[in-house]
Amino acid sequence: MDLRVIDKSDTELSIEIAGEDHTFMNVIKGALLETEGVTAATYDVNPEQSGGQTDPVLTIKTEEGVDALEALEDGTDAVIEKADSFTDAFEAAA
Amino acid sequence: MTQDYEVEFVERGEREARILVRGITPAFANGIRRAMVADVPTFSIDTVRVIENTSVMFNEQIGLRLGLVPLTTDLDDFEIGDEVTLSLSVDGPSTAYSSDLVSSDPMVEAADDNIPIIDLKEGQRLEVEADAVLDTGREHAKHQGGVAVGYRHLQQVEVVGDLGEFEDDDPNILRGVIEEQAAEHAAGDATNGELVATDEFDNDLRNRYPGKDVEVSDVPNAFVFHVETDGSFTTEELVLRAVETLRDRATELKDAVQL
Repeated sequence: MDLRVIDKSDTELSIEIAGEDHTFMNVIKGALLETEGVTAATYDVNPEQSGGQTDPVLTIKTEEGVDALEALEDGTDAVIEKADSFTDAFEAAA
Repeated sequence: MTQDYEVEFVERGEREARILVRGITPAFANGIRRAMVADVPTFSIDTVRVIENTSVMFNEQIGLRLGLVPLTTDLDDFEIGDEVTLSLSVDGPSTAYSSDLVSSDPMVEAADDNIPIIDLKEGQRLEVEADAVLDTGREHAKHQGGVAVGYRHLQQVEVVGDLGEFEDDDPNILRGVIEEQAAEHAAGDATNGELVATDEFDNDLRNRYPGKDVEVSDVPNAFVFHVETDGSFTTEELVLRAVETLRDRATELKDAVQL
């Protein structure tokens, strides 16, 4: 997973995440939107055949005083927590 | 932020299951579905060395057919890129089946015994050596462990009144799983809260609630996954591995961001 920061200020972050697709990007976006201090989160990805920017670009905006990069880290934590919690619930039912 | 999921099996089998998950967001549900289809690796024959092929088909056609044979995969013992060699040697007149594949590793063998590869006539012979490789559905569809993987909202049915005596008796078709909320109106034995697959009443709500006017609505954040595997591993393994791939990617991104 190669990252390339496209734009960065205190409350805004645009970052390219190479090698990922909707599977993970939509999950992380969904988790970011539920994260405290995040005002906007979205991602954009173009099809393989377009020949242009085909790696997804994640864009995050945060409230004043919340660092966007830290918010992204909180988002990844939320996904890990979701996955663990799902695994626990699934194994309990199985 | 704590998440609590509730998981319940509606139907449960080695190769096919219906699993209800409550408290899940559409984004996460779709992430799991996509991961099951494209990111959980399975073994599949990828390279074929033809020793003798006097059958009526080209080597390439035989190669394609061999590639599509599902092979059992134990993901604890292998990682992506690992190879296992199999061989097949059949003399006509007879049919070469997937069960004729002899594996060098007993953990990787044909998941089904009865897949025909080619019908051989008198004097025809097929002998090949093949390398199966572990890879993901993203690379090639033959590596997909999950087939027909999807989900639907859990649904609930509300009885809003009686049907008029002379009203048109149109079918009211519904597919998926309902959570019983109007047991007193249901035909046969029913208790509120039980999960009923719609095929139990032939997918027609008229059979479940005779003479009643009903309204159907989705239960928010409750999804019923339909999971079917090609036999490479069990449905449970597929779901858990799919969630694990999402977790791994989140961990990888977290580590990358921290640097």
